[in-house]
Amino acid sequence: MPTCWKCGQETSARFCPHCGAIQPPASNYFDFFELPPRLHLDTSDLEHRFYALSRQLHPDLFSRKSEQEKAYSTDASAVLNDAYRTLRDPLRRAEYVLSQNGLEIGEQQSKNVPPELLEEVFELNMALEELRAGDADAVAPLEAAARKFQGMQDEIDAGLDAAFAAYDAAPGKAALDAIRALLNRRRYIRNLLRDVEAALAAKATA
Amino acid sequence: MAYSDKVLDHYNHPRNVGSLDKSDPTVGTGMVGAPECGDVMKLQLKVNDHSGVIEDAKFKTFGCGSAIASSSLATEWLMGKTVNEALQIKNTAIVQELALPPVKIHCSVLAEDAIKAAISDYKQKQTSRQRETATA
Repeated sequence: MPTCWKCGQETSARFCPHCGAIQPPASNYFDFFELPPRLHLDTSDLEHRFYALSRQLHPDLFSRKSEQEKAYSTDASAVLNDAYRTLRDPLRRAEYVLSQNGLEIGEQQSKNVPPELLEEVFELNMALEELRAGDADAVAPLEAAARKFQGMQDEIDAGLDAAFAAYDAAPGKAALDAIRALLNRRRYIRNLLRDVEAALAAKATA
Repeated sequence: MAYSDKVLDHYNHPRNVGSLDKSDPTVGTGMVGAPECGDVMKLQLKVNDHSGVIEDAKFKTFGCGSAIASSSLATEWLMGKTVNEALQIKNTAIVQELALPPVKIHCSVLAEDAIKAAISDYKQKQTSRQRETATA
């Protein structure tokens, strides 16, 4: 068990049970919130934990403490905010779990994109470009395209929900790979949806 | 973030936008994507059968200004080069030419990947073509 930096006694808590000193924050976001590393989590429970911890860790509370304690409270508040922003959003939460397992959705990952997906996205983009270049008559097909992309995104989200459940039941590389493939696909569809919505907005003001 | 003049020039006046016949055995097609930003880039090149020199190159990119400029520049550089010379084109040269900021370096990597993918497609077609002539 780790020991308290101040009194040297054993502690694994946020505050040393012996001397009460604040301890350096856990760097893992799930550990920080004392939550199991699951992809399905109760966001209202997370919110409660966030507010309770905000009250305990706020740097103002440490203004009369030692420099070390001030520094730890600042560090802990920073981790708290990053961890909350990351974990409350299901997509960012999933990306975080992927990155913790060495599976970033990073740059230079083109080899991980299935060619069929690229072909499909390319064709969808071509069709969208044609619609955008068209006159006011193109509004109906653009709206149809928006509905289609929204439907595709909803389908991906349902797939992610199932994949999250699969990971929580049996964490491992297979489950994470499936999630990464869905997240990759979602980014492309999200961009298409954004573009078609922008095109519709432009037509509306034209 | 401000784009460099060269990026803006390629973005506003992209060179060689379009497509070549995918089924032509002297045409290589490379399709690559960057899930991080949702970009997709298609780059094609046509190799002269006799000289082995790239005589035409086309691209179509859906993505940010830097991705469009990187692929536009790549097609300019490809023309007149042999396939082996084309394989020497490095993303770092694209970064330099377009003065891409660090956050846009992946766009140049995408262009280099697209060149490599197009050439590998072309070579694959050539090998199967030779096999056909050998068996014919």
